[in-house]
Amino acid sequence: MPREIITIQVGQCGNQIGMEFWKQLCLEHGIGKDGLLEDFATQGGDRKDVFFYQADDQHYIPRALLMDLEPRVINGIQNSEYKNLFNHENIYLSEHGGGAGNNWASGYHQGEQVVDDIMDMVDREADGSDSLEGFVLCHSIAGGTGSGMGSYVLETLNDRYSKKLVQTYSVFPNQMETSDVVVQPYNSLLTLKRLTLNADCVVVLDNTALNRIAVERLHLANPTFAQTNSLVSTVMSASTTTLRYPGYMNNDLAGLLASLIPTPRCHFLMTGYTPLTVERQVNMIRKTTVLDVMRRLLQTKNIMVSSYARTKEASQAKYISILNIIQGEVDPTQVHESLQRIRERKLVNFVEWGPASIQVALSRKSPYVQTTHRVSGLMLANHTSIRHLFSKCLGQYEKLRKKQAFLDNYRKFPMFADNDLSEFDESREIIEGLVDEYKACESPDYIKWGMEDIGDANVAAALESKLVV
Amino acid sequence: MDEHQSGDLVKELVLRLVPADSGGALRFAHRLLSSRLAPAVLPDEHALAESVKRRLAASGRPDDALAFADLHSKLSARSRPASLWPLLYLLDSLSPHRRGAAACLPDLPTAAPPRHAPRAPGTPAGGAALVSKDPDNIREIALREYTELVLDETEVSEATLVRDVLYACQGIDGRYVRYDKASDTYDLPAGVRVPGSTRTLVRKLCEVGWLFRKVRGFVSDNVSRLPSHAATEVGTVAQAFCSALQEELSDYYKLLAVLESYSLHPIPTPGSDSGVSGNYLSLRRLVVWLAEPAVKMRLMAVLVDGCRGLRGGGMAGAIHGHAQHGDPMVQDFMGRLLRRVCSPLFEMVRSWVLEGELEDVFGEFFIVGQPVKAESLWREGYLIQSDMLPSFISPVLAQRILRTGKSINFLRVCCDDNGWAEAATEAAAYVGTTTSRGGLGYGQIDALEALVVEAAKRIDQRLMDVIHKRYRFKDHCLAIKRYLLLGQGDFVQYLMDVVGPELSEPANRISSFHLAGLLETAIRASDAQYDDRDILDRIRVKMMDHGDGDRGWDVFSLEYDARVPLDTVFTASVMKMYLKIFNFLWKLKRVDHSLTGVWKTMKPNCIVSSPFYKEGTSIRAQFVSVLRKCQVLFNEMNHFVTNFQYYIMFEVLEVSWARFSEEMDAAKDLDDLLMGHDKYLTSIVEKSLLGERSLGILRNLFALFDIILQFRSHADRWFERIYELQLRGKSKLKTKSKETGSWLEGGRKAMIQLAGELFRKMGEDLDSIAKDYTASLDSFISQLPLQQHVDLKFLLFRLDFTEYYSRVSSNK
Repeated sequence: MPREIITIQVGQCGNQIGMEFWKQLCLEHGIGKDGLLEDFATQGGDRKDVFFYQADDQHYIPRALLMDLEPRVINGIQNSEYKNLFNHENIYLSEHGGGAGNNWASGYHQGEQVVDDIMDMVDREADGSDSLEGFVLCHSIAGGTGSGMGSYVLETLNDRYSKKLVQTYSVFPNQMETSDVVVQPYNSLLTLKRLTLNADCVVVLDNTALNRIAVERLHLANPTFAQTNSLVSTVMSASTTTLRYPGYMNNDLAGLLASLIPTPRCHFLMTGYTPLTVERQVNMIRKTTVLDVMRRLLQTKNIMVSSYARTKEASQAKYISILNIIQGEVDPTQVHESLQRIRERKLVNFVEWGPASIQVALSRKSPYVQTTHRVSGLMLANHTSIRHLFSKCLGQYEKLRKKQAFLDNYRKFPMFADNDLSEFDESREIIEGLVDEYKACESPDYIKWGMEDIGDANVAAALESKLVV
Repeated sequence: MDEHQSGDLVKELVLRLVPADSGGALRFAHRLLSSRLAPAVLPDEHALAESVKRRLAASGRPDDALAFADLHSKLSARSRPASLWPLLYLLDSLSPHRRGAAACLPDLPTAAPPRHAPRAPGTPAGGAALVSKDPDNIREIALREYTELVLDETEVSEATLVRDVLYACQGIDGRYVRYDKASDTYDLPAGVRVPGSTRTLVRKLCEVGWLFRKVRGFVSDNVSRLPSHAATEVGTVAQAFCSALQEELSDYYKLLAVLESYSLHPIPTPGSDSGVSGNYLSLRRLVVWLAEPAVKMRLMAVLVDGCRGLRGGGMAGAIHGHAQHGDPMVQDFMGRLLRRVCSPLFEMVRSWVLEGELEDVFGEFFIVGQPVKAESLWREGYLIQSDMLPSFISPVLAQRILRTGKSINFLRVCCDDNGWAEAATEAAAYVGTTTSRGGLGYGQIDALEALVVEAAKRIDQRLMDVIHKRYRFKDHCLAIKRYLLLGQGDFVQYLMDVVGPELSEPANRISSFHLAGLLETAIRASDAQYDDRDILDRIRVKMMDHGDGDRGWDVFSLEYDARVPLDTVFTASVMKMYLKIFNFLWKLKRVDHSLTGVWKTMKPNCIVSSPFYKEGTSIRAQFVSVLRKCQVLFNEMNHFVTNFQYYIMFEVLEVSWARFSEEMDAAKDLDDLLMGHDKYLTSIVEKSLLGERSLGILRNLFALFDIILQFRSHADRWFERIYELQLRGKSKLKTKSKETGSWLEGGRKAMIQLAGELFRKMGEDLDSIAKDYTASLDSFISQLPLQQHVDLKFLLFRLDFTEYYSRVSSNK
């Protein structure tokens, strides 16, 4: 019972970052491109069965479902050297191959149409695991397939596997550039609603920040998708190390998330990683101690979300929780010292309505991947400043919505038929609620937040019950 | 003073002294005065005056002394200093106390010069020659008279006494000199008439006899016991001691034989000196003869006294104690004795250190073996007997000797290893001492130490090699850390998953066979499956003794079967400690597991989309309120449990392990290893608050755990009910679209009412749990700084990282 995790990658972006993730996992576990264990991969200690299962012929097969409405990316995978890695039955490609046209509604609708096919695949994978822990969804929220179809998958999973965890790695669009997808704000908003309601945990991967990191930290003039995707895969694999290299603690996803997400709605996590490298980049060697790593993880520039808007409000931003996963040769005694130093320097602001602390998980490093640094670290943090990202999405949506622009494309689909745009309004309301709740978390009175009317409510309830009698 | 004057003065002096003299005396005086013989005194006037004064004062005439001092000072003030000294000297020479000498002065000129002059003129007169040549035999007559007088006083002849004394010296009663039991001495009976001085002399001489008697008694006591009685009573060291004593005694016998032969020569009576052999033996001569043997005999007697009742190493130690002597003669003698005495001991050490054999028939060695089971061979099998430890072997060396032999035996008995022999031979070859018997002796402590050190080094090295390589000590320690100390997280998780439902049953209804099966399942399911089968086979389920009302959780634990020889490290009591730690960590894990369970029942996508958010404000507010309470309480509990676990992991287990790991690598012998392991275990126990001194805070901790478990079971019920109501609401909603009817609205209201009641009840329960929890946690946190014996700063630091608790408590 390895607490299996099934990965579902939807859409162009989802499949790209998913593919990078699997490449990375294969490297770390010593699994070849065809799924066979490499000869050198004999030092045990790692757990492959969380993300892979073994076929009868000893092949390791990812517990992955690949879905797209247009064939380009998946065909690319199927023609690559990794073509034999995946189970071909786990690949769903829309028959017409026309894609979703960057339209959330189209993606959602198509998802609805093929729900049986998709859920057959999901059920088959779920049945094939002993004690399924949950699902991981990789997608982007801006396009059509990842956002629309992804949203539908989310709703369905939530409905059908309500006891299982649903985590997503959601790529947020680059807001610094004018996107070729003009309806991006609509798509984002509608997807965000599902991420808020139907996911247990959303790891926010902000393309704006990924680009910034690639330019500023890695000194790449024009970062390619492949390069930013490798950043994503690094984060994804690092955040699963404690599941794949079992230790004293944090051996299951639920335990990991339970500490990170104390309040259900605030389940959007930011990530930071150090030291950052991309393939073939000539790397400068730096000193990596636990303190160095932990300190760098708290630096804004290493965080893969651009929500640290340098507004006045940002100074009010607080951490709800932090988990640092430190990989490599670490002397456990260094952890205490580092924490002490961080507290002395007041490098972190935590929420005041409850106890909190920086959690540190030490994890082994894959023996098969050579790096120049001794220690690397990933931060998973629940930080209230993420609300600025949502506010920005809301703002962009409002602009577009005011102009009533591009709504026709949506009206073509059943959800918005008859000019029923209540879905937009509802989504906006939910995202506003989310932003408010994050804001409320910054206050020490969060515990009482949202209950101001409770006194009246009690009276009302009493009245109501009397009336019934 | 001119010549004339002095000449006249001398003449006058001579005339005055010898009035009848015709001139001979004057000539003699002149010759004396003109001789160049200077008095052998320094012409120191002051010293002379002082000595006169002192003499006067000493002879009880202080007045005269004062008068003399007065006169002398007056005189010296008036005259030239040079002239005073001769005068003073002369007067002093003539002073009354020298009267004896002065009295014979008149004799000289009258008697001596004429007789001497023809024989040897110029030769000073010699007193002795003068006497023997006494033609009138006056002296001879006087002496004869004296002898007769002596004989008169003496009943026993000196020769007889000498013989008697010689007898006494051999421990035999003589004719007169007998052993007197009452006074425990050899003595002349009071009735025998001898001069007092002789009696004293005899007594003094007989001391040797008395000592001899004592020594011989000891020897014969020990030796005579040999054939008849069980030899265990004597022992090899005592035997060696006796034989050494006997050797010394035989020298003594030789001396006595010679003396006896001398004693046959007659003692010349004073005067009758002619024709007598010089080898006669008088009492006085005997004193000289026996002086040295007496010293030795005295030493032996002291040793004999000191060793009475002692055996083996104790005896050697006692003798060694006496050997610390400044007199080289004594040192030499004792060294000789000790070399003999210690040779059996050293042989024992040698065979123990190189062969691991206890060749100790008489129980004399300072190491004793006890028949024990293999697992306690190291700890209890061999002990140092401190009363058998000779003082010349230091306790440190003794420990090392003990350990070396113990290592050999441990290798032989527990590890079934023969490689030690090679190591021992190598060590012996290195030191240069042959491994044969008798290679070492007393006084070669350095050599012994070198041998022991070398042997210890190699044999301990061998033992460490065997323990580490053949018996993979570290692997087993790691296995224990992984399985008993829950380091293998995935395994622990599955075990808890599969065993959990079973353990909620009453303890007496649980089959440990079934649990063993589940354990195997957990191993198969986790990464543990890749572990060595040998290690996995040693993990067992152990059900502790249970009483009424105990649940499976209370009695379940894991055990690790270390097997020989590692059970020397992991003894039953050590395993008991591990058991204790396991139970604690298991409980902690269970609490953690339950909290994760709570989180899963109220995980985001189950709660956020709850239809209650869409209900009327009142019920919605109630829902939000209880939910928030629940989440906040959960957060607090989870914070505590998570950080406590981090503390256990980083500060307790990993840190202790790192230290132990270092010590393990540095350990040179099994004792180091055992000590390192003990330290490791104690550090874990103490830091996990399982020590004796932490009972109070531990009770508090368990109270917290219980509240959390209680919270879990409540939360399960609440959320089950909430989801049930949600489902009902949902199905109503679905049907509502099809059929419209007021009864449905009523049913819906009933549902809302039920939910309202549930939330109210839930709120109350939550408040009470939160209150209990806060009280317990406050008390726990306040007790943390009081735990002086363990460093819990880190725990407090983690728990209160954001100073939330300090803020809360300062607000109170």
